[in-house]
Amino acid sequence: MVETRAADVHPPYLYLDYKSTRLRAPTQPLVRVAPSPLEATGPVFPKQFVRESEADLTTWGKSAPLGEKMVLVGRLLDEDGRPVRRSLIEVWQANASGKYPHPVDDHEAPLDPNFLGKGQVLTDEEGRYRIVTVKPGAYPWQNHAFGWRPAHIHFSLFGNAYAQRLITQMFFPGDPLLAIDPIFQSVPEAGRKLLIADLDLEHGVEGVALGYRWDMVLRGPRATPMGV
Amino acid sequence: MAKPTPSQTVGPFFARELLWKDGGIVVFPGRGDRITLTGRVFDGNGAPIYDALFETWQADAAGKFPSGDDGSRPYGYGRVSTDTEGRYAIETVMPGSFKGPGGETYAPQISVAIFARGLLKALQTRVFLVPLDAIKDDPLARAIGDPDRLRTLIATRDPGDPKTYRWDVGLRGAAEAVFIEF
Repeated sequence: MVETRAADVHPPYLYLDYKSTRLRAPTQPLVRVAPSPLEATGPVFPKQFVRESEADLTTWGKSAPLGEKMVLVGRLLDEDGRPVRRSLIEVWQANASGKYPHPVDDHEAPLDPNFLGKGQVLTDEEGRYRIVTVKPGAYPWQNHAFGWRPAHIHFSLFGNAYAQRLITQMFFPGDPLLAIDPIFQSVPEAGRKLLIADLDLEHGVEGVALGYRWDMVLRGPRATPMGV
Repeated sequence: MAKPTPSQTVGPFFARELLWKDGGIVVFPGRGDRITLTGRVFDGNGAPIYDALFETWQADAAGKFPSGDDGSRPYGYGRVSTDTEGRYAIETVMPGSFKGPGGETYAPQISVAIFARGLLKALQTRVFLVPLDAIKDDPLARAIGDPDRLRTLIATRDPGDPKTYRWDVGLRGAAEAVFIEF
């Protein structure tokens, strides 16, 4: 049996203030499974799966996108602090006006012809990654009256085994909308600060891009069956 | 011990970002019987979920877990979204049975992760591609026990199209599937 230390940081399935959970959260308890090779193994992404240019979301268009340019650096680690190497990180986000190029996004904000808001990168031998983008805008949503999502960047992580798969969101320090965001607030108190990046000016580009740092932690080998 | 990064919902806006061309055609280094796993995903009112990300991971036809890629995509891994009717389809090979760390035998099954707006964490489960009487000794089947619950994880072979396996997934309520943690 694996330990579930994770229980104190992950949100529950049912969180009433986030209305979409009410019809989608299961009612039955999860069945704990014995360690099996299904979770100890996982997809392996070749180096050529990712082009270097995909780590810079600001070079997708013919010219620079609108907004506040930023550099995000960090490390992907396991719970024992070991680097998760050569692991795929996918990111996606709204543009600086808080608009996604998605057919169901009905926010009346402009699309930016120079910004798709999609990127990916493989971590290096130290588990490090670096992404260049623009700070996403906040946007309104219809979950509750006067609801606005705080600025956030979506992250999809694979780790090195299926058991480490995680999709999450990164938020920005000092954002007053965090206090009224049920998606962020669904995370137990002990986990919330883990979703907020830190300013890291020296990793920015002087006079050009503001630097942020955000480290991510995936389940470690002890929580992963068969010692992967 | 560092605390793990908490999970957050994939939200509704991932289609251009996470979906791959032919993401529903799973590649393997070797051959095998090509099959299609298809069905629909429903919410607690029985309404189709049209914005779910549906991912699969599995052994190859010989029961080995493939490490590597075909030059463009990892072996063994499928990724699609549901359509307006909640439907997904994964074309893959029939996985072989495989052994666990204690030598126990697992029946042919595919790991499934479902991400969606309204899911603050992925829903993890597995779907069996053989009938109830062929999974009696499977470790997951034994952990579930109750045959009525177990049936929610068994795909049905289409009598008119034996290469097609149908599996509908209810997230909540009367048709709720079994979900797992590991």
